[in-house]
Amino acid sequence: MVRLITHNLLACHAKGCTSNNFPLQFQDAAIELRDAEFNADFLRGFLPRIEWTALVGAARQLGDTSLPAEQPEMLDDEFLQKLHHVLLEVHVEEGAMVCPNCKHVYPISNGIPNMLLAEHEIG
Amino acid sequence: MPTQYLFVFAQVHDEFRIPELLSVAELYGFDIKFSEDPKERDTSRPFMILELKSEEHARLLAGRCILIKYVCEFYARGTSYEEMHERNRLRKPQWEKYIADTSFKFMVTAFNHTIPQRRQRDVVEGFAYMDFQGKIDMKNPEITLACFEEYPDRRGTIREKIEGDGEFDEVWFGRLIDVELARPLAKKFDVKKRAYFGNTSMEAEMSLLMANQTLASPGKLVYDPFIGTGSMAYTTAYFGAFVFGSDIDGRQMRGKAKPPGIIRAAAQYGVANRIMDLCTFDVTQNPWRCGELFDAIVTDPPYGVRAGAKRLGRKNQRQPKEGPPPVHVERPDDQQYIPPTKPYELSELARDLILLARYMLKPRGRLVFFLPTVTEEYEEIDVQTMLCEGMEIVANSLQNFGSWGRRLITVRKITTEKYPPPTFDPAHAVTENADVHVPAHKDFREKYFQGFKKNGSIADSSAQEV
Repeated sequence: MVRLITHNLLACHAKGCTSNNFPLQFQDAAIELRDAEFNADFLRGFLPRIEWTALVGAARQLGDTSLPAEQPEMLDDEFLQKLHHVLLEVHVEEGAMVCPNCKHVYPISNGIPNMLLAEHEIG
Repeated sequence: MPTQYLFVFAQVHDEFRIPELLSVAELYGFDIKFSEDPKERDTSRPFMILELKSEEHARLLAGRCILIKYVCEFYARGTSYEEMHERNRLRKPQWEKYIADTSFKFMVTAFNHTIPQRRQRDVVEGFAYMDFQGKIDMKNPEITLACFEEYPDRRGTIREKIEGDGEFDEVWFGRLIDVELARPLAKKFDVKKRAYFGNTSMEAEMSLLMANQTLASPGKLVYDPFIGTGSMAYTTAYFGAFVFGSDIDGRQMRGKAKPPGIIRAAAQYGVANRIMDLCTFDVTQNPWRCGELFDAIVTDPPYGVRAGAKRLGRKNQRQPKEGPPPVHVERPDDQQYIPPTKPYELSELARDLILLARYMLKPRGRLVFFLPTVTEEYEEIDVQTMLCEGMEIVANSLQNFGSWGRRLITVRKITTEKYPPPTFDPAHAVTENADVHVPAHKDFREKYFQGFKKNGSIADSSAQEV
């Protein structure tokens, strides 16, 4: 769990942390690969929501270099398969996500990230 | 030309029946024509005749609607056998294709009654004029002809077992198409047999009805912002959707063993890989980077009776100290520090939830959630005034518990406009909605524990009697 699709949707939300708060950086990430069902329509529909550079960066940080730096225009099957693998099959089980701006550490335990804010961090 | 189909429903959750039919029809993209006569749409009766374009649509409904018991091609009905048979003869063009050599059997059954075997045989013989030539096959017939007698509800009366036999209100006849295909799912998802559940887990049948209201299907993404022990995640995922869950209390999602409880239960149903992710956060302080992510939001918000709704912050207005909390207490789970929480009043929560849905849903997306209401005080306007621009009510079905109940509210996003994320600030919402209507579900928790008494004095006097 903490698939890269999730990582791509979460930004640091601590009080006052509104710029450079995405993407969160992985720290001490323990990865597991698990098969997921391929659904081309889902991927095509979700692509407009993806921050491409952040996705490629996160994948590379975890050692997966299968995605091109630029988002291709042609969504052929080969590309969708790669996208599927990166978005849905790479799970960060342990470690943390760190805000590049305020350095807040969001720990990941058993695949569940703890995104709760402390009292002094809520708006 | 549309054909009439006879639907036989389970006699539970009356108010959920028509919304479920409409949702499943919308999911598969076809129309259902209901009778113009309101008496024919009476959901306290198990029978209903619906017009559909094809038998395939009838099968799709039976395959997905939890409340359907039988679906038949409708031939005839009557208040007596004479009347029904007379009408059935006129329907010969519909059934004559089965006369020559189709194997068949009869099914004769009754609602609120048991027909003695001897008379069951008489009933079957009454259809001799149809003159079916095919062989009778009790195990694998090509068609099953179904005859249902409908008796008035006589619960609570004492009578001989077969007393009143034949005194039915109406008899219905048709060719059976499908027998409860989706209904057994309520057993499959039985909470008692689940690998992981909690004291506030939603019962299986209701979780399935909720999943149908979300129009869950493969390739969709559904979010539960108060996922708790994940009851609705399993059913929506079972229908093919990816599910994302968050909760302010991570212990609810994970339980005591590894892997997390929700994943263990999802694995039991073969849908673990459709749990997109689980995340611990307070939805009023959420980390979502952008909106328009989800096809549906489904949730049973905590309303304070067994589990109180909480949000981050302090109950009293004491100024928090600057800087991080001074003491870190080591805990067995990852939560080294537990931030303080304050109660989240129900009417505020409901209104925030709709604003959140408008921001987080894709256009046409649905929000499905339970709202507890005080039966005597509830007015339709309570639900109407929760709404905001761009959101419309699709269904509002009551599950009645007597002095209180809960309503399954289905809301659709009808706008393509982009809205900002909600502020979750009670002060802000009041100024935005100048309407001063106070919904009956406001302070539901307090009303519940006061036993829904109109005012304190009555509660006091009843307390003295005890």
